[in-house]
Amino acid sequence: MTMGSGYVVGVDTGGTFTDIVIIDSAGGIHFDKAFSTPNDPSEGVLNALESASKFVAGDVREVAGSILRFSHGTTVGTNAVIQRRGARVGLVMTKGFEDTALIGRGPMGKNGGIPHVQATDFVHNERPAPLVGGALTRGVGERIAVDGRVIAPLNEAEARRAVRELLDEGVESIAICCLWSLRNDAHERRIAELAREASPDLSVSLSAEISPVLGEFPRTMTTIVNAYVGPVLVRYVDRLHKQLTERGLRVPLQLMMCSGGATLSSNVQRKAVSLVNSGVVGGLVAARYLGSALGYENVITTDMGGTSFDVGIIHRGRQETEKMPFVAQGIPVQVPSAQVVTIGAGGGSIAWTDGDRLMVGPQSAGADPGPACYGMGGTEPTVTDALLVLGLLDPDNFFGGRKRLDRSAAEAAILDRVGRPLGMTAREAAAGIYEIITAKMGDLIRKTTVESGYDPREFVVFAYGGAAPAHACLYSAALGAKEVVVPYSSSVFSALGCALSDITYSYARSEPTTLEANEPVFATFRDVFGGLEEQALADMAESGYSPEEVVLLRKLDLRYEGQMSEITIDWRPGELTAEGAQEIRRIFEESYETRFGAGTSRKESPMEIITFRVDALKEIEKPVLRREEEGDPDPSALLRTTRDIYLRDVGTVRTNIYDGDLLRPGHEIPGPAVVERRDTSVFVPVGQVARVDPYRNLRIGVAR
Amino acid sequence: MNGVLDPVTFEVIKHRLWQITDEQGATIRTISTSPIVVEGNDFNVGLFTRDGDIVVTGPYVLHHVTTMDAVIKSVIREAGEFADGDIFLVNDPYLGALHQNDIAVVAPFFHDGEPILWIGNVLHHADLAGIDEGSFCINASNVFQEAPRYFLKIAHGGRLASDVERTIVTNSRLPDMVALDLRAQVGALNVARQRVQELVDERGVETVLAVMDGSIDHADRRLRERIGELPDGSWSTEVYMDTDRVGSDRILKVCLRLDKRGDELFFDYAGTDPQSQGAVNATLHACYAGTTTPVYTFLCGSEIDWNGSVKRSVHVDAPEGTVMNARHPAPVSICSIGFSWLASVAASRVVAQMLSCSDTYRDRVCPSWLVSCNGNNVFGVTDEGKFVGALLSDHRGGGAAARSFADGFDHAGTLFSYLSYMSDVESQEWKLPILYVYRRRLPDSAGPGMYRGGLTAVTALAPYGARSLLLKSQNTAGADESNAAGIHGGYPGAGSQVSVVRDTEVWERLTAGDIPLDYAELGGEIEHLPSKAERDLGPDDVLVFYPPGGGGYGDPLDRDPQRVRTDVLDGAVSRRAALAHYGVLLSEDLLLDEEATRAERAARRAERLRSAHHAVPDAERTGPYPTRWIGENVQRAESDGVAVLRCGNCGHVLCGGDEDPRDHGLRRRTDLADAGPWLAVKWDGRSPNFELVESICPGCGVLFDVDERLKR
Repeated sequence: MTMGSGYVVGVDTGGTFTDIVIIDSAGGIHFDKAFSTPNDPSEGVLNALESASKFVAGDVREVAGSILRFSHGTTVGTNAVIQRRGARVGLVMTKGFEDTALIGRGPMGKNGGIPHVQATDFVHNERPAPLVGGALTRGVGERIAVDGRVIAPLNEAEARRAVRELLDEGVESIAICCLWSLRNDAHERRIAELAREASPDLSVSLSAEISPVLGEFPRTMTTIVNAYVGPVLVRYVDRLHKQLTERGLRVPLQLMMCSGGATLSSNVQRKAVSLVNSGVVGGLVAARYLGSALGYENVITTDMGGTSFDVGIIHRGRQETEKMPFVAQGIPVQVPSAQVVTIGAGGGSIAWTDGDRLMVGPQSAGADPGPACYGMGGTEPTVTDALLVLGLLDPDNFFGGRKRLDRSAAEAAILDRVGRPLGMTAREAAAGIYEIITAKMGDLIRKTTVESGYDPREFVVFAYGGAAPAHACLYSAALGAKEVVVPYSSSVFSALGCALSDITYSYARSEPTTLEANEPVFATFRDVFGGLEEQALADMAESGYSPEEVVLLRKLDLRYEGQMSEITIDWRPGELTAEGAQEIRRIFEESYETRFGAGTSRKESPMEIITFRVDALKEIEKPVLRREEEGDPDPSALLRTTRDIYLRDVGTVRTNIYDGDLLRPGHEIPGPAVVERRDTSVFVPVGQVARVDPYRNLRIGVAR
Repeated sequence: MNGVLDPVTFEVIKHRLWQITDEQGATIRTISTSPIVVEGNDFNVGLFTRDGDIVVTGPYVLHHVTTMDAVIKSVIREAGEFADGDIFLVNDPYLGALHQNDIAVVAPFFHDGEPILWIGNVLHHADLAGIDEGSFCINASNVFQEAPRYFLKIAHGGRLASDVERTIVTNSRLPDMVALDLRAQVGALNVARQRVQELVDERGVETVLAVMDGSIDHADRRLRERIGELPDGSWSTEVYMDTDRVGSDRILKVCLRLDKRGDELFFDYAGTDPQSQGAVNATLHACYAGTTTPVYTFLCGSEIDWNGSVKRSVHVDAPEGTVMNARHPAPVSICSIGFSWLASVAASRVVAQMLSCSDTYRDRVCPSWLVSCNGNNVFGVTDEGKFVGALLSDHRGGGAAARSFADGFDHAGTLFSYLSYMSDVESQEWKLPILYVYRRRLPDSAGPGMYRGGLTAVTALAPYGARSLLLKSQNTAGADESNAAGIHGGYPGAGSQVSVVRDTEVWERLTAGDIPLDYAELGGEIEHLPSKAERDLGPDDVLVFYPPGGGGYGDPLDRDPQRVRTDVLDGAVSRRAALAHYGVLLSEDLLLDEEATRAERAARRAERLRSAHHAVPDAERTGPYPTRWIGENVQRAESDGVAVLRCGNCGHVLCGGDEDPRDHGLRRRTDLADAGPWLAVKWDGRSPNFELVESICPGCGVLFDVDERLKR
């Protein structure tokens, strides 16, 4: 594919920085950062664009006018949920079930989506504040049964009264969720009609539109979240779009969704819930793209910042999908989401002891006060402090020298809090902290890959985010992974992912069906997939894409009759036949045994299809990255200094320290070495070697 | 920390052991077909030492932690020889299983020809035969009428033996489900075995075993330290079961005394009623599992690992031949929601009393948490001719008691598994021939208190897609009494009730778009069932049931009136209850009338002083008096160099420092109805068997204790 003349821009708003990537028509990547502006995040976006423009054209207007694609990952939705600063939402539900969200399937509304250590603090683990309280919830007489039959007709008088009362309460957004609306959405649609009649500008979210999937609690939460963040996101996106247009932008704004795909700004109201928690998936998209450029189909992504360590998997060029992620404590949503597994292990994770054990995390010093070595009042020893004491970080060259680290404060904190109580020196304790946190990271990766049925030895590991490259070679070696890749653009990897995301719309409908080879089942296939695909193409057309440009992918969620969780398989287009039904079963059982071991499937058990899914994909023209000629492997010109590094298994080792910002393709750096870049420090252990590839990525593997 | 171990290696390997266990659990959850397993998480997994002591366990049902341990010890004792690749299956409650539904699958792990550790899991199977569907044998009068008790070697060389599998599957009414669940268990065990092998290869067997032993030793030290921080003393309580089997109206009593001495806890069930003819009995294994639940959840919490260390410092004694230590061949198949459950209820209460006496740990006081299972099995033949059935999970909407600093958790789920969720209505309707009429919060189900208890939820459902349904109801207790104790003047929460409303107008109402929301609106004739019952539900009948609420904390007249108003606005508390329980007056448009509320509350206190009588040392109460009593309104102080207990509100000296203040204040006896509208509903709140005993400060009228008691 060739790019037209112009720029592809990705912008990702994070907690501290707003990252931007600009890819020019020659495939050159330019990146920059601006401080995030939590009060009005659009300011940070504009600042980043302004600042990065000087790398490519000088003037922001010149750049903006030539942008072919502007794709943005925003945390506005996520923050609205976490800080409970969304719209004032009214909830209308089937009468008799209006407490569904408050009951929250019992403890799921409290314990879902939180770490074990929080849930087992039985008396202190509070139920999170509801997004919609009882006072803004109304039950309306109506009932549809499992088979889609109307058991109770819609009580129009009650529906009108409910809408009026909620409007009187000042709601700006309404969520509507009726039982079994996935089977028959007539009542939801009629209530929506009444609401729009009563208040034409009201934001209305229908569960049958947003998530026609089995299970009223997650479906209700999905609908509520959509209603809750929709108005906030629409306001934000409109404002940003206006400001960008004023600077000359001529293309529509694209927004990153948690699936890893992008949607157009005109869809934000309908897709609002999909924009929540989209922050972590950008890296996955970038890794998929870069992996394929490097010839890798199987990639484990590892991202470590100040507070968390995130792991994602790309297998055969595709990411793993989570069907019902929690967007916050106790809030499950039925939005297919790129699976990213997180633990609280970051540079800020605090080391502590009870007098016997040395433990790291899950408490974090965060950014404020931060690690002891930041000198901002932190007194607890953190992982960053340990790295500093071990010599893996340079106190004078952290963050490109923008932050000076206090090594003696780090040492004192480690000695005081864990070293002395355990009878260890600061250095020994620091090496212990480093080994423990690295082992935990390795365990998480192992768990994530093997639970999906994969062998980590068939994967390469991508390490990005400020902190991961200091640990990656060790956890990757323990897993037997093939290679570690520290991408050239690792500090803005999510923004790169934004720039590269395809337009993707996902559709799902639960239509529980026993898989049998007979005409009614074939007809269900035809009708359900047909309906979903028709809707997908219509939505794509509305976004300006013709059916020829769109790829449709079918998926099925399957289980043995009676099981409660499903396995998703890919399925092909066309009519279902008896042979096809057999094949579905075969694919399911293969995938099942891969995951759970030979002999776990069972021929005699009937099989159910629960949910039909269609992904519509409009592939975006991808830039071809610029390859540079590989030069002399000798990196000695970049040798900045040498430093003693201490590790538990090898003791003190004199280590070369290289200036990573000056590395050129072809350079080879044998371990032990630390490659210091502006934004990260890469540790290359003894016996491994780092090579700079033609795209300036560091590729680290066993020394030949 | 241990001869061969440094803290870093210890931590690294320990984390990996946890990860292996986690993976074992994930495998079971995905393969299992049973809602009890996947949504209720009624299973658990673990790694054990060579001797069968549990080292690390999953976050699932806690009762299985100590019972798996007991099963492995039984296998070691009884199996004689075993070889690499052997897997044993045991569901015998007299050998350690909680009850027959819980099949434990355990395997020795060999290294150099020697068993060096054990891997195991246990899972609640939906039906393993016996006289009643679901194998909760409410009609059994001895163990031979219950599901068979297996003690089998089910795998040689790691592969499931088809003859053994077939025997177990054939003996089930739900063979497909049992077959897949067995595969889940064996599959999970094999996954764990492989991971352990990798770990042993990587780190060496001695190091791994040293970490396993060290983990228990470490938790043992931590737990002993924590127990040591609590004041010595003894505390006691009684809990009750109304109805032990179908057709019985017997009320059974559990007496529990907790002695805390040094760094150990001693629970003693002396005085508890003799074993029952019904299947509610607990073996001592099941009693231990129930009793230690609050030790794990409130004492260990998230800071001390949950493993075999508890067995070292926490001792449980129950006289043989009682419901807490049944003698063979007593039936035991519903003990998990029978006396094992009540063991947790009683133990939670004495543990809360103990924690109340500690300044450091008072924030962990929580005297009740879903005190009754309210388990309902429904079965039916669908219109397509298929027999289906399942244990409903709606009871997990019940509440927990208030805490010393905040209200109790609404819809808290069970204490022994924080991951036991209720099913979605839609997924139940997809599986079973039923139509839910409503599932809603039950207003006024929270025990009143300065902090109120947690709310419960009420469910109504009718047959749909089947001509009739068979209901087997195993409600732990709560049709006559509540058991959902509050503390320090807080009232008990709602009881636990299952009812059938016959010949209702439900279908007419639905057809008219007019959804009924309570018993009365259903029309028809209400039958409040005893706690163990079986009934047929016809096409116009509706099953209505609610699990218990949580008890309150502190005197309800001390509750912040604004909180009461918020609860009214939110629908948690009715206006009527705001006045009746809290003395709070709200205007027509629900604004707080502060002055009237103040006056009302003063009048209520005065009325208490007028209507109460002087307490006398309580001859009725069995068991010893607490030797320590500190509460929200009772403080320990010195007076003329002598320790006394005085009212925290007015300073009035109630009694000596080691006496029971309930024997020295004012006392008032009232009906259960005074705690709310959902206690003893079959008696309209005026049970002939139970009463509330209120203890009141003679100085100021503050309520410092409410105790639910069997009338004698």
